[in-house]
Amino acid sequence: MKKLGVYIHVPFCVHKCSYCDFYSVTQLFEAGEYFRALKEQIMSFKSYLKDWTADSVYIGGGTPSCVDPKYIVETMETLKSVIRFVDNPEITIESNPGTLDTFKIKSYLNCGINRLSMGLQSADDDELKMISRIHDKSGFESSYMLARMLGFRNINVDIMYALPGQKEETLMNTIDYVTSLDPEHISFYGLRVEEGTPLASQEELLAKIPDEDVQYNMYIHAAKRLEKAGYTQYEISNFSKKRMMCRHNCRYWKSGDYIGFGPGAASFINGELYSYTKDLYGFISKPTDYFSNVEKSEKLTLDQQATQYIMLGLRLARGVEAKEYKLRFGRDLEEDYGEKIQKYIDLKYAKRTDKGFRLTRAGLLVSNTILSDILDFS
Amino acid sequence: MADRNLIRNFSIIAHIDHGKSTLADRILELTDSVSKREMEEQILDNMDIERERGITVKARAVKMSYKSDDGNTYEFNLIDTPGHVDFNYEVSRSLAACEGALLVVDATQGIEAQTLANTYLAIENNLEILPVVNKIDLVSADIEGTRKEIEDIIGIPASDCPCVSAKTGLNVKDLLERIVTDVPAPSGDENAPLKCLIFDSYYDSYKGVVVYVRVQDGKVRAGTRIKMMNTGAVFDVVEVGYMSAFGLVPSDEISAGEVGYITASIKTVSDTRVGDTVTEESRPTDTPFPGFKKAQPMVFAGIYPEDGADYEALKDALLKLQLNDASLTFEPETSIALGFGFRCGFLGLLHMEIMEERLEREFDLDIITTAPSVIYKVLMKNGETRLIDNPAVYPDPDEIDEAQEPVVDANIIVPTEYVGGIMDLCQKRRGIYINMKYIDTKRAELRYTLPLNEIIYDFFDSLKSRSKGYASLDYELKGYMTSNLVKLDILINGEKVDALSFIVFADNAYTRGRKIAVALKDNIPRQLFEIPIQASVGGRVIARETVKAMRKDVLAKCYGGDITRKKKLLEKQKEGKKKMRKLGSVEVPPETFTAVLKMDEED
Repeated sequence: MKKLGVYIHVPFCVHKCSYCDFYSVTQLFEAGEYFRALKEQIMSFKSYLKDWTADSVYIGGGTPSCVDPKYIVETMETLKSVIRFVDNPEITIESNPGTLDTFKIKSYLNCGINRLSMGLQSADDDELKMISRIHDKSGFESSYMLARMLGFRNINVDIMYALPGQKEETLMNTIDYVTSLDPEHISFYGLRVEEGTPLASQEELLAKIPDEDVQYNMYIHAAKRLEKAGYTQYEISNFSKKRMMCRHNCRYWKSGDYIGFGPGAASFINGELYSYTKDLYGFISKPTDYFSNVEKSEKLTLDQQATQYIMLGLRLARGVEAKEYKLRFGRDLEEDYGEKIQKYIDLKYAKRTDKGFRLTRAGLLVSNTILSDILDFS
Repeated sequence: MADRNLIRNFSIIAHIDHGKSTLADRILELTDSVSKREMEEQILDNMDIERERGITVKARAVKMSYKSDDGNTYEFNLIDTPGHVDFNYEVSRSLAACEGALLVVDATQGIEAQTLANTYLAIENNLEILPVVNKIDLVSADIEGTRKEIEDIIGIPASDCPCVSAKTGLNVKDLLERIVTDVPAPSGDENAPLKCLIFDSYYDSYKGVVVYVRVQDGKVRAGTRIKMMNTGAVFDVVEVGYMSAFGLVPSDEISAGEVGYITASIKTVSDTRVGDTVTEESRPTDTPFPGFKKAQPMVFAGIYPEDGADYEALKDALLKLQLNDASLTFEPETSIALGFGFRCGFLGLLHMEIMEERLEREFDLDIITTAPSVIYKVLMKNGETRLIDNPAVYPDPDEIDEAQEPVVDANIIVPTEYVGGIMDLCQKRRGIYINMKYIDTKRAELRYTLPLNEIIYDFFDSLKSRSKGYASLDYELKGYMTSNLVKLDILINGEKVDALSFIVFADNAYTRGRKIAVALKDNIPRQLFEIPIQASVGGRVIARETVKAMRKDVLAKCYGGDITRKKKLLEKQKEGKKKMRKLGSVEVPPETFTAVLKMDEED
């Protein structure tokens, strides 16, 4: 039985954060209609999914925690009716610390959700305000404690660096604060100013974003701090306690199969890469019409899949492996990349491992430059 | 056949913005050569560059018919002249084709350096000068003051000169009458051997080269076997005719006194040099026009395609431009940094800029132009004299006995309040003061000897910025002067970049070197390693900057498995890299070269 990750998109937010360019709307009153449509879409995949077993589910958004938890529970029921699950699947829900309460947390736990991801971003209330987050540090703390008390044994906390006005010192304070709460997993990622977001036109804030050298130091020093606190870096932006890596996200990076539901969701299944249009109302009106919902789709050749494996695999701390590369794509890693990667090895941005090669921490931080050079997508 | 007594050939001399084009348009209207509506559509439809810069680059000519108050109908030939110092020679030839010149002076501005220079050219060509005071409709117009200025500075009577408003048309009719009475009818003998002066030519893809001529003696018609007296080329005339406001109008023949065109299946304008004499092969004139000179490029620069694959396209484009512009020279050149390109020669900086713009606009080419250079004269220790127009081949200092650079006589007219600033600028540019004259209480005329090298960078812009736009400049090549010159090399990551080498006055080497290094640092994107940038003279480093290593370029969140997006981003990045120029292991965006050259010296 082939294993699969399932992604459920909840495209609602109480308020759009100024830097975010993921698809979500603030029309929370459409939630009822949306989840009805979502159920229809998932149901329509029943026969398609009959040979697959889900070993992870990721409910992301948007802000899944901002809608009535009954919708989440129902969606989980639907999912269980169309696809088999492995024993002990990893089921994650993303949350905004400002929108959690006892009832929601209990509902999540009761329907099988066993991993909670909390978007703290910063423990500095001024920094939070700058990026227009709706929660504050104390709100986060009470939600976190509540989740722990009620039974979540696997919690991720998001931390951002390169925020407007952020100093290396305040970042370290956030890191120390979060590690003191002892979550199993920490996502640590840099702010990117995306075109079209409100932040992109807020000159004053943009001017406060730390420069490249400061960002570099923030990243390197924070990573060391996290390691010292017992977290291992396993991907560019992800750190975890032993054996607590996010199974679902690892599936992406290992170029495994996953299926997404809801507008904006992406899928990679049976070599086909596709994603749905970011259109809530279009989706609600025709949830089962694959062609009207799919925005882009491409069937990848085995060679293209091999390239994708390198692109994603080099995000991982352990890098890419020759044996797996040969097994999955029938190609020789050394032959394809040995020469190209050598100059980066010389510059200490990459390293050979006993199984293949990987990027160093400094290399991970400039991975776009390296990948765009060594990969050939045609 | 036209009665020579009823022909008036004239041109208009005016400073930029003094209303030359507007006046020409009014004259065209009043002679019923074009209607008002057509005026908008046709006449102003010049080259973009001309319109944007308010200058005339190419000479034009137009034949008009004017019914005078004396009852006669006159043939007017207006020959429009280029208005920039780069095209001085062309101006002088256009003037030589006329008997008279309207000297248009803006009643609110007074005489400018360029006007003065062109007026002297007209006087040298024995033209009847008819001063015209323009813009009298403006409140700030000082008619009497302007008349006095014309009399004082140029020394021609102006007390009864026409005062017009080209904009409103006021008194333009009177001006036309004055053209009839004041501009002499052409002389010449139509039975004498053919003698025509070429004052312009352009390439037409159907007719071949169209040659604009003023017929001095004789006549020419289809079938006449003509000879270009200086180039020696011989052709059979296919067509002759006149230039109307709307294009060429064929006629049976053109004869002594007239202005018209000749086509003869001529393939290249280099056979039809401005200033040359056209005669009949079997019966040549024994008095060709004097003073023919081949236009000599004074400024040289390398032009390279941004994308190496466009080399052939660039070559084609240059060949096509050369069809129309014999003063443009080019030959293949190779640069380690820029690949295959061409060393091009121009009449001056404006000419160079116009060519660059035309390559980009008309041929849709992205090009890189290296720093302009003048021709240096290097006297070698072995007695040899070498002319160097490319810094890359500047000889080793040990072999040089003496280096010389070209200098010009510059004539600057500037409001008195800016004299200090302009003198300071000339000083900084190694100018040698000759004299200063007060034109009136408000304006002064400054004369300096300046190295041409100092003028070709951004002298004109500096001049304008230091005088709030009021200073005007004219110059002519004077000769060569011994100078302390050095070659300034730029090294990126330890490797010499030939395209960025300069010949520079020794005392300026440090400042210039540092500026280039800083400009490069600001323009070269960070890469995965640190890049030293050095400026050096004779192997000695005189400036150093560093492009720091790139530290961060990462898509942090690969969210929800949206791989397509990440792939797009990386693909785009890869595309962008392809445009980069590789200097050793350093990737440099092509714009860098231009940015470095466009540095503002006043910074």
